Amino acid sequence: MWRFAIQNLVSRPLRSLLALAGLSVAIAGMVGLFSVAEGIDRMVTDTFSRIPGLAIMQAGAPLPLFSRLPASWAEEIAEMDGVGVVNPEVWSRVNVIEGKRVIAPPRFLFGTSIAERQKLKTDVYRDAMVEGRFLDQTDQLQLHTVISRQIAEDHDVGIGDQLKINGDEFTIVGIYHCGQLMLDVSIIVDIDVVRRLTRFERTTACAFYVEPDGTVEKEVLVERIREKFRGREIESSGNIAGALATGNPLIDLLLAIQNWLGGGTPDAGPETTDAESEPIEVRTSDDWAERFEEFSSDLNLFLSVMTSIGVLIAVLSIINTMLMSVTERIIDFGILKANGWSRRDVMVLITCESAALGVAGGVIGCGLGLVGTEFVNTTWPDRLQLYASPPLLIFALFFSATLGIAGGLYPAIWAMRLSPMEAIRRG
Amino acid sequence: MTQNAPVHSIEIENLTKEFTIGPTTVRALRGVTAQIVDGSFQFVLGPSGSGKSTLLYLLGALDRPSGGSIAIDGRRINELSREEQDQFRRTEVGFVFQSFNLLGNLTALDNVLAPFLPIGVSGELRQRAEDLLVHVGLGDRQRHRPRELSGGEQQRVAIARALLKQPKLVLADEPTGELDHRTGAEVMGYLRDLREELGTTVVVVTHDESYIEPGDATMRLRDGLVVSD
Repeated sequence: MWRFAIQNLVSRPLRSLLALAGLSVAIAGMVGLFSVAEGIDRMVTDTFSRIPGLAIMQAGAPLPLFSRLPASWAEEIAEMDGVGVVNPEVWSRVNVIEGKRVIAPPRFLFGTSIAERQKLKTDVYRDAMVEGRFLDQTDQLQLHTVISRQIAEDHDVGIGDQLKINGDEFTIVGIYHCGQLMLDVSIIVDIDVVRRLTRFERTTACAFYVEPDGTVEKEVLVERIREKFRGREIESSGNIAGALATGNPLIDLLLAIQNWLGGGTPDAGPETTDAESEPIEVRTSDDWAERFEEFSSDLNLFLSVMTSIGVLIAVLSIINTMLMSVTERIIDFGILKANGWSRRDVMVLITCESAALGVAGGVIGCGLGLVGTEFVNTTWPDRLQLYASPPLLIFALFFSATLGIAGGLYPAIWAMRLSPMEAIRRG
Repeated sequence: MTQNAPVHSIEIENLTKEFTIGPTTVRALRGVTAQIVDGSFQFVLGPSGSGKSTLLYLLGALDRPSGGSIAIDGRRINELSREEQDQFRRTEVGFVFQSFNLLGNLTALDNVLAPFLPIGVSGELRQRAEDLLVHVGLGDRQRHRPRELSGGEQQRVAIARALLKQPKLVLADEPTGELDHRTGAEVMGYLRDLREELGTTVVVVTHDESYIEPGDATMRLRDGLVVSD
């Protein structure tokens, strides 16, 4: 039956190819669209899985870049039971590198306490070093930096070279490669250097990265830290709004997402908090994953609506193809029925044909989608990270086959109901 | 029944068939009563529109009559369920049509095997199909598609298809209508061989009375009624 069905399709090559093209493009589009969501999902999961500690930021800040906390709080946190290392961080957006304006992808000066960072058991950047060395005590107060391989390649620089960042010459001492859009944006420098260059007060930090010592459950530690600072006041250190747009569509999207997840962008006021409010947010990788999962489901809904348009066109194309094919072969069905084919046999034949179109369309569509996502990832590695996962491809394939079968169902029922005598008489 | 009395394998009783085309009702058969003798070579004659083909299709359970009955070997085929009619057509009746009615996508061999495609084709069945094509002189054209065959060859493929079932009844609707006389006679010869070799009842609808031979049964229709037999 299958051989016969495929012969029927092959005997009408142009029509079959057009239907196949319509379905393939729709499925490729579906794979492409959903690979955006999966790419974000994977990137977020992968990124936060590499950062097992706690991120402490100002409440409502979507990213450390927009957070301001008193630097002295680091010492208080360090004294708490269950805390291993507290690493204060200062973040600042880089506007110009080597005389070129930095728009997309964004770059950030990441000021870190070298002394505290060396105590970390797990360090996402130190563990990803590919050339040179990570910052050590000799780099304190020096214009020394560790940059990502991406940044090094963009500006054709290597270990020992100078890199002019926001007008200041930095010496590159190391190169890391995390392979993640959200991580490979950092230009790592001693925290006091960043403070000095960006006129950031010494009494302030953007965020604290806390590595637990493992003696206390993470959830318990999170609650203890929250409790400790509940009702504290945070003095405003200036307007930090207005820097949200990075120029990179994906990063901007992530910022928007985080803003949404965090419940709004922090602004200059209110400058203090009342006794019941939380001045800080303590985020674990699980918190991030949970929040992104919620966002992903909304994004998937949006993408489903977008995909359904393409899919609808593809289904109509299959129905049209099969209906035309069936109309042309009314006599054939009459002959088959005259020779003992049942109504069900005829229906199965037509359904096999449309299912074959569906499966072929699915395979080609998945292939195109996969090639497309790889092309995008290879062409713009520092801008987009799409991911067409095996489950997505399998789903697309089954979905396409189902579409094919559904598309052929109406023509099949139509053909099934034809009287064999009427069909033959038409011949 | 006396010892020499013919066995009537097909009993047609007051058969009527009406078609509704828009507001018009066409009475194709108006009460045909006839018997067809088992193993006979039966011609159904008559002008266009007399109801010959309609009668043939009703005999083959391709349609249901509006009234009356058809009994084949005592079984009323108009009362069979749809599934039983499918089975009847698949195993007991062979059709040969005027315009050959082969499936253009299939080879000659696959056309012969077409009735059995849904239930699967065994090696033995395939071998029989090949033998039948050899028998009708198409041993070297088995892999050819209908468009690569002449009209006579296509009709021989159709006959092989009908023969593969080893049917009790072969219904041929103008089987020589699109063939020259020599090729038509050749095709008619295959049908006669079939009757002689297998004892199959062959019912042939035709305009061309030149193929009638002594001993053949004839039934003449006009305006949906039997006028002579």
